[in-house]
Amino acid sequence: MTQHEHRAVRPETRTTDPAYVGLLKQVMTNTLDEDYRAVAERRGSQNRPGVTTTRVGLMAVLVLFGVMVGVSALQTEQDRPRAMAERAALIEQINQRQARYDDLREVIGDTLRRVTRLQSAVAAEVDGNGALGSRIATLGIEAGTLAATGPGIVITVDDAADGSATLGGTILDTDLRQLVNALWESGAEAIAIDGHRLSTLTSIRYAGQAITVGYRSLTPPYTVSVIGDPDTLPSRLLETAGGRMWQGLEANFGITFDLATAERVTVPAAPRDRLVYARPEKAR
Amino acid sequence: MIAVLGLLLGILVGLFLEPSVPEPLQAYLPIAVVAALDAVFGGLRAFLDGIFDDRVFVVSFVSNVLIAGVIVYLGDQLGVGGQLSTGVIVVLGIRIFSNVAAIRRHLFHA
Repeated sequence: MTQHEHRAVRPETRTTDPAYVGLLKQVMTNTLDEDYRAVAERRGSQNRPGVTTTRVGLMAVLVLFGVMVGVSALQTEQDRPRAMAERAALIEQINQRQARYDDLREVIGDTLRRVTRLQSAVAAEVDGNGALGSRIATLGIEAGTLAATGPGIVITVDDAADGSATLGGTILDTDLRQLVNALWESGAEAIAIDGHRLSTLTSIRYAGQAITVGYRSLTPPYTVSVIGDPDTLPSRLLETAGGRMWQGLEANFGITFDLATAERVTVPAAPRDRLVYARPEKAR
Repeated sequence: MIAVLGLLLGILVGLFLEPSVPEPLQAYLPIAVVAALDAVFGGLRAFLDGIFDDRVFVVSFVSNVLIAGVIVYLGDQLGVGGQLSTGVIVVLGIRIFSNVAAIRRHLFHA
């Protein structure tokens, strides 16, 4: 029962609720008209007193209104190009930032690709059959800082038996240098004299009645261990100037020159493996 | 007639002399114009009703402009300036429409 009543009543209360309708109605009807009417009623039969005194006020207000309308219209008109300019500037900024963003993204992409390439290169050197390690080893062997082993030849030279009698029967430092140069020329990959590895810093010279190799004095016979192709080294050695000179030494002065191929020749590392002053020059 | 002349004079002054409105008041100029428009249409309607009064018009004009400006200023301070100016414009707009409707009835008897 109560529900029925409720339903019946509810639409009415909604439409006639003074709280809603009153407000709107008040807004609609409460115009300035009321004030004029009240003043007119209060004045009654009196026909417009003080009209001349307030005419000035009316004029002033009307002029003020005109000024307000004019100024605000002008302002809106003036603001429009400025607003348009600001908008255009903002759009341009957006485009610039967008372009910069794209550029940076491209840079990132390039850099990432480079990193990947370098990484794969490093990985290939490190993991790919130890390529990096083998390269270091190769360089170390070439520089003489690593002990090396391999096939090659062993040359044993000695002064002539009666060397003390004949001057030419003594092996000189130049002879050994010629031999070493001839060996390099013939394709030797590592050379040691009497167990002293020849590196880029090794000198062979005559000092104090003895040949020194890397500042260590040697006594004959001198054993020259060479790593290289055992098949080609001897023949190529004989074709070089140094080889022919040694043939002459052997033939004319009684100096012994024994050349033997070996399956396995071992040369030690040069003692000095650290550079004190020389540094790699920075590329570019 | 003198009222129309005054209005035109004011508009011309505003357009050609370009009086500069102080920066803080610039935001309230449009709402003040709408409020003034309400007073002007109310006055016009009263004039047509034959009950126009200069004093009432001046007072209503000034108070309308001031109250509208103050309401919006208050709203700005409270952070609801946009909503309050919308409300003011709605109310003033409704009043303007009803006043204009009355003026129309006077002029066209319809």
